[in-house]
Amino acid sequence: MTALPTGKRRRLAPLARREAKWGYFFLTPWIIGFLAFTLIPMIATLVFTFTNVTLTQDTPLRFVGLDNYANLVSDPATWASLGVTLKFAILALPVGVLAPFAVALLLSSRHLKGAGIFRILFFLPYVVPFVAGVLIWQSMLNTDSGWINEFLRWLGVSDPPNWLQDTAWVYPGLVLIGIWGIGGGIIVYLAGLRGIPSEYYDAAKIDGAGAWQTLRNVTIPMISPVIFYTLILGIVDVLQYFLVPLVLNQGTGEPGGATNFLNLYIYKNFFTYQNMSYGATLAWLLFGITLLITLVLFWSSRRWVYYAGER
Amino acid sequence: MRSFKRLTALGATVAILAAACGGTTVTAPPSAASSGDLGSPAAPASSQPSAAGGSAAPATVPPGGPVTIKWFCCLGTGDDPSQLPVEAKVVSDFNASHPNIHLVFDHAAYLGARDALSTELGSGNGPDIVGPVGVGGAEAFHGQWLDLAPYIAKNHYDLSQYSQGAVDFFKVGDEGQVGIPFAIYPSELYYQPDMFDEIGLKYPPAHYGDKYTMPDGSTVDWNYDTVRQIAMQLTFDKNGKDATQAGFDPNNIVQYGFEPQRDDLRGLGAYWGAGQLLGPDGKTVQIPAAWATAWKWVYNGIWTDHFIETNAVWNSQAFNAGGYTFNSGKVAMQENFLWNVCCVTEAGKNWNLAAIPANNGTVSAAFNADTFRILKTTKHPDEAFTVLTYLLGDASTQLLNSYSGFPARTSAQSGFYQQLSQQKDAKGKPIYPPNVNWQVATDGIQYADNPNFEAYMPGYNQSVDLLTKFLTRWTSTPGLNMDNEIATLQSQLQAIWDKSQ
Repeated sequence: MTALPTGKRRRLAPLARREAKWGYFFLTPWIIGFLAFTLIPMIATLVFTFTNVTLTQDTPLRFVGLDNYANLVSDPATWASLGVTLKFAILALPVGVLAPFAVALLLSSRHLKGAGIFRILFFLPYVVPFVAGVLIWQSMLNTDSGWINEFLRWLGVSDPPNWLQDTAWVYPGLVLIGIWGIGGGIIVYLAGLRGIPSEYYDAAKIDGAGAWQTLRNVTIPMISPVIFYTLILGIVDVLQYFLVPLVLNQGTGEPGGATNFLNLYIYKNFFTYQNMSYGATLAWLLFGITLLITLVLFWSSRRWVYYAGER
Repeated sequence: MRSFKRLTALGATVAILAAACGGTTVTAPPSAASSGDLGSPAAPASSQPSAAGGSAAPATVPPGGPVTIKWFCCLGTGDDPSQLPVEAKVVSDFNASHPNIHLVFDHAAYLGARDALSTELGSGNGPDIVGPVGVGGAEAFHGQWLDLAPYIAKNHYDLSQYSQGAVDFFKVGDEGQVGIPFAIYPSELYYQPDMFDEIGLKYPPAHYGDKYTMPDGSTVDWNYDTVRQIAMQLTFDKNGKDATQAGFDPNNIVQYGFEPQRDDLRGLGAYWGAGQLLGPDGKTVQIPAAWATAWKWVYNGIWTDHFIETNAVWNSQAFNAGGYTFNSGKVAMQENFLWNVCCVTEAGKNWNLAAIPANNGTVSAAFNADTFRILKTTKHPDEAFTVLTYLLGDASTQLLNSYSGFPARTSAQSGFYQQLSQQKDAKGKPIYPPNVNWQVATDGIQYADNPNFEAYMPGYNQSVDLLTKFLTRWTSTPGLNMDNEIATLQSQLQAIWDKSQ
């Protein structure tokens, strides 16, 4: 690879030009798709935030400046839905990141018999259609007839939780439903664990490291890029949490607004309240929050994520 | 390079062909295979307008092919699996008798119907006619309904077949005559006579204005104080103690005395007095005093007197899991609309109907009314009006029976209860108890709440969401100061309205 000359642009050779044309040709479907379904709609939503677009447009379309942003700041429902999202994130994120890691550690243990069977069993729920899974969980978490409460009663809990109808228990209930889908995370962690050279473990053993020290000083640093990746995806997922409350409660936010997540509130502003401009403003708020958290994580990753290939 | 040009030319040809095919699809006359089509293609039949409001239809197919009219369902009733075949048959019959119009049925389940209609309207793919839709469903799309007055005049549609009150119900100040009466659902008190017999209580009065006789022989007004007293006596814990007795266990109640209509806080309040949240200036929230009284009464009924279910109990399987809890057979009285007869059969074999109690000497019974409406955005208002009159006329009996709708057409009302009493289950046994006093429902029409509780308010859907949130909070949380709660509700509603105006 030669360094690009500075200053004057160099003309490409005919072969390189032909290759470039073919390259652009094959990229065209993606570029068209990206423009039509991502970039242009994104720009459109940004423009919407400065207008009064509604689905029915019963008032004349006009430029409203920063009105939608002012509404956003003064709208208690926005901050309530953001609070709901954060409350859920505090509970769901550690579980979503640590649970698959813990299971992957168990599955990669040399002492586990039939690891392949367990891998399949843990991954199977991941391939079940998610909506079907949510509905199954809804039955399992039923206060009266769900087998989880049946089991708790069998253990002697006389008044088991009203999982999905109680504002205090609905978040643990949703986290339980989320555990159903950790199969994908387990596979990613397993791949990461298998990529750790065995020499490190041998060296740790020679140095007299125990299981905890090996985990802390070898496994976790070596798998930190995977943890970082899972954390980023987990944050994006939790900020965009939408499908489960929509399926469980038809998006009503029940019980008592406890499942009125920010993404659900955005959806409702777009379609139920028919206020496209305000929905777009909320969507940009979500985008901004996601971007900010991701940037902070990337910045902090220099301190705790170890890339073996880096100098 | 040559092959690159060839490939580009090929791509361009495919694109042109695709565009050409797409254009044909759009401009071609609609066919029976179109999405959502439940009817047959145009058939050579003719129909004449009927005196009862039957639809008019030219006997020939126009040169451009039949006009497609999309019927959107179900902002109200209509999405039950038992109702869909009836609607399909109506569409099929209509298409067979109207060669100039091709009716297609666009169905969305009730819970997602508002969002689905919003999306269709927003994408410019809206339907022509919507229904059955109640006031609430319609107000979610306030300002978007066609004023039918010119079409009623043009087609000489006979409105005298309905009571003037029912016609005026659909006359909205700034919108015109946005509907023609179809189905009405007055309210009544459903009760379980066996539960009253068990403890020697007299039944609630069946006639409006009658007094109630207490166990000591005294007669008292049939009002919410009386209801509270007898409802507590009808509420039992698992040890057999009623809610008036010492040692009553409110955590283990097996039978409740009373259930309000808790679909909507506004509707709940309307049983205490007619009102609306929108103030006279059209932008300020007002809480009708009767509604505040109702909300406090219900709150105390749940948390102090224990004769009304908490939200947790209401959602439990044993009490019909969020459905109408009277139908569990474990509730002695419930206020509800006439459309509950669809499902009240689960409540047992011996329920009956009684008068709605009074509040401060005045009876108010929340009122529901469903009809079909035409959207302003329709490109074919005349054809849509033909469909509308068919649904309200020729098809009305089939649809009303399927929807358990009480006919708004006065001449059809007497036959409604008769057909209910003749309905039989799969084993040939009558579905409804033989002695149901259906007259109570008819009598209740005169106490319909006016203004209707579902009337327009700014930010309609968001306001309804907020009301639901407070309803859940109040039915889930003991120890609240209801005056503060109502003030908070008012200020939060006002914030929504201010934002939407």
